[in-house]
Amino acid sequence: MKRRSLAMTLLMVLALALAACASVLGIRRQPASHPFEHRAHVMKGIGCLECHKGVELTGDTGPLHIPGDADCLRCHQKPHDSRPCQGCHGETYVRDAAELARARLRFTHSRHMVAAEGDCVRCHSAVTESRPDTVMPKMASCFGCHEHRDQWALRDCNGCHVDLAAEGTMPDDHLVHDGDWLREHGARAASEKDLCASCHTERQCASCHGEGTVPALPWKLALGDDVRLAGLHRAGFASRHSLEARADPGMCTTCHTESSCIDCHTRRGVAPGSTSTSPHPPGWLTASGGDHGAQARIDPVSCAGCHGGAGEQLCVGCHRVGGPGGNPHGPGFNSRKDQHHDLPCRLCHGVGP
Amino acid sequence: MSCKTAAAEAMTRRFVVGVATALYTAMAGGIGSARADPLRLRGDALLQTQGSGSPTGLVVLQGQDTKQPWVSAEGLVWAGATPSATGDVLVLAVHLREPHGYAELQAGRFVLATGAVHPVQIDGARAVARAPWGSTVETFGGVPVVPRFGARSYDWLAGGRIAETVADVGTIGFSYVQRREGGEVSNEEIGADAAFAPVKWFDLGGFAAYDVSDPGIAEARASAAAKVDDWRFELFASQLSPGRLLPATSLFSVLGDFPSQTVGGTVRWRAAPRLDLLASGAGQDLAGGLGGNGWLRATLRLDDRGQGSLGLELRRTDVPGAQWSGARGIASLPLGGGFRYSEEIEIVVPDHPDGRGTAWPWGLSALSWRSRDGWDVAAAVEASSTPLHRYEGDALVRLSRTLGEP
Repeated sequence: MKRRSLAMTLLMVLALALAACASVLGIRRQPASHPFEHRAHVMKGIGCLECHKGVELTGDTGPLHIPGDADCLRCHQKPHDSRPCQGCHGETYVRDAAELARARLRFTHSRHMVAAEGDCVRCHSAVTESRPDTVMPKMASCFGCHEHRDQWALRDCNGCHVDLAAEGTMPDDHLVHDGDWLREHGARAASEKDLCASCHTERQCASCHGEGTVPALPWKLALGDDVRLAGLHRAGFASRHSLEARADPGMCTTCHTESSCIDCHTRRGVAPGSTSTSPHPPGWLTASGGDHGAQARIDPVSCAGCHGGAGEQLCVGCHRVGGPGGNPHGPGFNSRKDQHHDLPCRLCHGVGP
Repeated sequence: MSCKTAAAEAMTRRFVVGVATALYTAMAGGIGSARADPLRLRGDALLQTQGSGSPTGLVVLQGQDTKQPWVSAEGLVWAGATPSATGDVLVLAVHLREPHGYAELQAGRFVLATGAVHPVQIDGARAVARAPWGSTVETFGGVPVVPRFGARSYDWLAGGRIAETVADVGTIGFSYVQRREGGEVSNEEIGADAAFAPVKWFDLGGFAAYDVSDPGIAEARASAAAKVDDWRFELFASQLSPGRLLPATSLFSVLGDFPSQTVGGTVRWRAAPRLDLLASGAGQDLAGGLGGNGWLRATLRLDDRGQGSLGLELRRTDVPGAQWSGARGIASLPLGGGFRYSEEIEIVVPDHPDGRGTAWPWGLSALSWRSRDGWDVAAAVEASSTPLHRYEGDALVRLSRTLGEP
């Protein structure tokens, strides 16, 4: 008997946990509101224009023709609740999306109703789904009739989009900003920079690729924005940046120039000439050489971050011709430069006759 | 007048001109005109327990305006005390565009990134001509930007790119760039790039840059992705030659060529409408030996619109010279009334601490408020134990105002 009640209790706890998970994970919708039952109305054979009266005559401005309670009450004469219909029937974000579309798209229902022969579902196919995220047609629906090949080739989006950058619409099929997009974007943007530029501003590119990025403007000061797991410099990046650099040699150079490190290292007291702390691990530089040569071959860019420019003299002191540091060139090194006159050869090989 | 004084005066003059131009850029169109991004003025304060750059104060002005469909301007200038006075212009560019897209001209300070050309911020110009059948010709030139109004003598770059659309499903392009520093060629590259989207659920892209001055591949990247229902798969590969990415005039370029290769994949699965699971792994061949890295990531949205979220990431990197494990958690919770609370924590455990601490924990708590009329206020505290300092703490405050249309 005791065992049975324990099993029942566990079963109930499990059922409650599953129900809670279903709600949290979004498998079961919150009861407070849900998408409007377009499908049920369509299945009943109720024409769209019976509720969205007048929408067939609209231009690209004016009201949205979203039905109000009075429209519902024309058929539902005995409502089950005294509260406003739209408080529960219909998601707020669907209405918001419709308002944004009106503000940001050049679109006239009046012209399209003629071409579609009054068949709204031809574009608004989502209304036949039981639980659509949105009833706004996707751009692919537009391309079903309008090829826009020339406009695509010329990156001329202004015919339909008032301001694509402000619109902030994410790509739906190709160039989907998903997965590890931050790493992907370089390979993808190479051929499509002007497509990227139709939404992204110069400031967005410059915030990472800019030479003079704003100090004290790291991601952590993007307070108020939604925090994300993605991002190269997120969380305690300052602590792990040397490990990150070693794990992907040359990666830092993708955004930073070879002289970018020195600013921060100077402020933190880990710059060349600083007496406080060396950023290098023990054994970096010993009488017999140490680890620095091997590491420098793997990622010379990291070395140049602090020791580039005038700091190169630190290397030249030991590695000049005849110096105690020996030959720094890697196996098979060959150069077409004039070792006595061209940079950087002349730093060690000296000026010839 | 000494050279130093003259240079300082020139810097100040350029800064004042930059700020004035940015202000004009932001204001000229009128606050009510159509714009991609309204004028925003922001003030930051940072107080640190470690380091010499505290307290830091910063004022940032940014804006973008499109007065007419054929002309737009964008700017971001900042000035601050860190603790000495400093400032810079990050972006200040004017963009002219033939209304149908046949030609474009961009001039000012901007990030040049096209084809296989390595992204570089320049003071210069870029011109593009397009044909409706998909051909593109692009040319650019300018002076690479040096931070804080510095300048290098005889330092400039120039180049171009031609591209062609292939059967409406892809683009291929070829580029050339030459950069000179101190009068000598510091970088000369030819490159090829391509992108294809043959079907809606599959696309791929990539580029390769070939170093002409020190013959060999400087950088190559490729990525292919497929999206099927709740799954997205991506395969990627890259080759980087750090010695060739450096200017040929750098002393460190003489170390020779030791490229690194990476091959890996990423999988994203929408396990539930609000739950995304991601896994990524890569094998690496570095000059020092073989290695790899990988991570697992879970993001749970707290509502259908993703206004709030919880996230967890586990990560492992194991390559010669860098072995570490890490875990990170995030929480972003909208509190109503424009308030948002966010929390981030991370712990990194290096395999070889070398006296820099056995673990590097880090945490940030932030509270922000955004008003309907364009005000943003945020405050945060950050605490960590780093390889440099056993205890470290920062306090951050931000005040921001959007002018015009918030």
